[in-house]
Amino acid sequence: MTAQIELKNIDKHYGAFHALKNVSLSIAKGSFVALVGPSGCGKSTLLRSIAGLETITSGDLHIAGKEMTGVPPRHRDIAMVFQSYALYPHMTVEENLTYSLRLHGVGKAEAKAKAAEVAATTGLSALLSRYPRQLSGGQRQRVAMGRAIIRNPKAFLFDEPLSNLDAALRVQMRKEIRALHDRLGATSVYVTHDQIEAMTMADWVVVMRDGIIEQQGRPLDLYDQPVNRFVAGFIGSPAMNFVDGVISEDGRGVVVGAGDRIPLARQAEPNRKVVAGVRPENLRVAEGAASFHFEVGNVESTGSATYLTSKDGALQLVQTERLGFSVGDRVGLDIDPALVHLFDPQSGARI
Amino acid sequence: MTRPYIPWLLVVVALALAAVYLFPLYWMYVTSFKSGSEIFANPPTFWPREIDLSIYPSVWTRRTMHVFLWNSTLIAAGVTAITVIFGTGCAYVLARYRNVWVDIGLFSVLMLQVLPASVMVTPLFVAFNQFGLLNYPRTAVVLAAAAKAMPFFVVLVRATFMTVPRELEEAALVDGNSRVGAFFSIVLPLARNGILVCAILTFMSSFGEYIYSKSIIQDPSLQPASVGLSGFLGPNSTDWNAIMAYSAIYVTPILAVFVLLQRRIVSGLTSGALK
Repeated sequence: MTAQIELKNIDKHYGAFHALKNVSLSIAKGSFVALVGPSGCGKSTLLRSIAGLETITSGDLHIAGKEMTGVPPRHRDIAMVFQSYALYPHMTVEENLTYSLRLHGVGKAEAKAKAAEVAATTGLSALLSRYPRQLSGGQRQRVAMGRAIIRNPKAFLFDEPLSNLDAALRVQMRKEIRALHDRLGATSVYVTHDQIEAMTMADWVVVMRDGIIEQQGRPLDLYDQPVNRFVAGFIGSPAMNFVDGVISEDGRGVVVGAGDRIPLARQAEPNRKVVAGVRPENLRVAEGAASFHFEVGNVESTGSATYLTSKDGALQLVQTERLGFSVGDRVGLDIDPALVHLFDPQSGARI
Repeated sequence: MTRPYIPWLLVVVALALAAVYLFPLYWMYVTSFKSGSEIFANPPTFWPREIDLSIYPSVWTRRTMHVFLWNSTLIAAGVTAITVIFGTGCAYVLARYRNVWVDIGLFSVLMLQVLPASVMVTPLFVAFNQFGLLNYPRTAVVLAAAAKAMPFFVVLVRATFMTVPRELEEAALVDGNSRVGAFFSIVLPLARNGILVCAILTFMSSFGEYIYSKSIIQDPSLQPASVGLSGFLGPNSTDWNAIMAYSAIYVTPILAVFVLLQRRIVSGLTSGALK
């Protein structure tokens, strides 16, 4: 597949602060790429650099095969949806939608027809003459989307577009945005700090931290094969459990406490200090002999699942059955050895 | 339960201060309606026994007020135009960019606000003389008064610009507008109210400009109404109802504008502060 957006060795400094460190990324045409990471990781800076709202200190940016490194935003032919939606408050919905068309010299009648068409697909037809302040949060969100899709740009950039919506609407808009992307065959770059959004919406997830790309790949690959402890902890909810331990003499398990041992599917270097990573949803309550134990410190039931947290807070466990444990119970646990991840305690890299 | 009394006390104090400040205005109108003998009556009357308006047209023609008021309007319009055009651009830059130079700029703008006109007038006079600007005294006054009005305008309009979210501008850039285009089509319309209010305040204050006009404009046919009024006043002036009528003619239009627009002016001044 050809790359629609190609970033090569991008660096960005804000004075002494190094916001992007030698970032290279290739975004395939027609793909939906999510940039995730904790706040301050550089994901928004990267998006804004693609849009041209930030100047890149060094490196190369190509959009649809054209060099765009120093080109002002208006010549890049990209559309952006902002976190605050950034609707023009002094313009009606229709004027908001057609603003870019009018700037590009599209005739009045044609712009109006286009606005009507976009409004129909985004469910805004009845609201065209309203002002942004007369709209609800979800409607504003739709106007922001409509404003982006109206001119068929080379790429859509989303900067945490759903973070101002309530939870139910967020889930709905998630699907709508993805459906819109598929229908338009567009290329989308989506910035979010919410890994669930990234996992559910994107074809390709890029995890960033401190201005570097920690890992990129398909959502489930990131979930199954995190390259380091940071990605492992960031992807997945509730977060992966990390347990300090030592590889056993026979190299087939991680000793995590008196008589407790997490089994391994492969041979590891004996006596090595490691951090074992186990996902809360992969832990099972042992029926027979347990490989390790856990003292219940907290029980939260949502109905569909039960969340158990250990007394020391280090271990979390999700069960879909209703187990009826209470605080203070000692629970024997087991896990499929293939689902145990090992990380180096110093570097955090996957072993 | 003493709390409810505190606001009342403050309201009383505010009203008392307002009364002290507004009494001269009342006295001006009342005196202008009185006859010569009633003005000097003791005890004074607080409402004229007989309202006599004939002094107004006679003062208007005797003191060639149309010339003075025209000059005042011209000077105020010139000051407002310069202040709005340059001050808006300046305020925008000071609102949008943040670095050492902008901080220095802002600081020097605030310094200008501190310098009183009476201190500045002598050096300005000398400088204008050097440049030959004293041959165009009204232009000279416009320049001097615009420099004086600028800091106030810049500081207030900057606050207005700060309330316009940056993202709106960025959205306009991505939508295909240039930096300048985004300023005119997005930022300016949203800051319009604040700018308008500051422009009106600038106009009103320069309509009453006195110190620069008095020092720089010698020719009475070019003087504004404020200087014309001072020509009336002297150690032996007795023509009080004419002076008061003159003042009333001078002040009433400004007052009327202020009263008509006061709601917008107050909301314009506070909108920046509340955000």
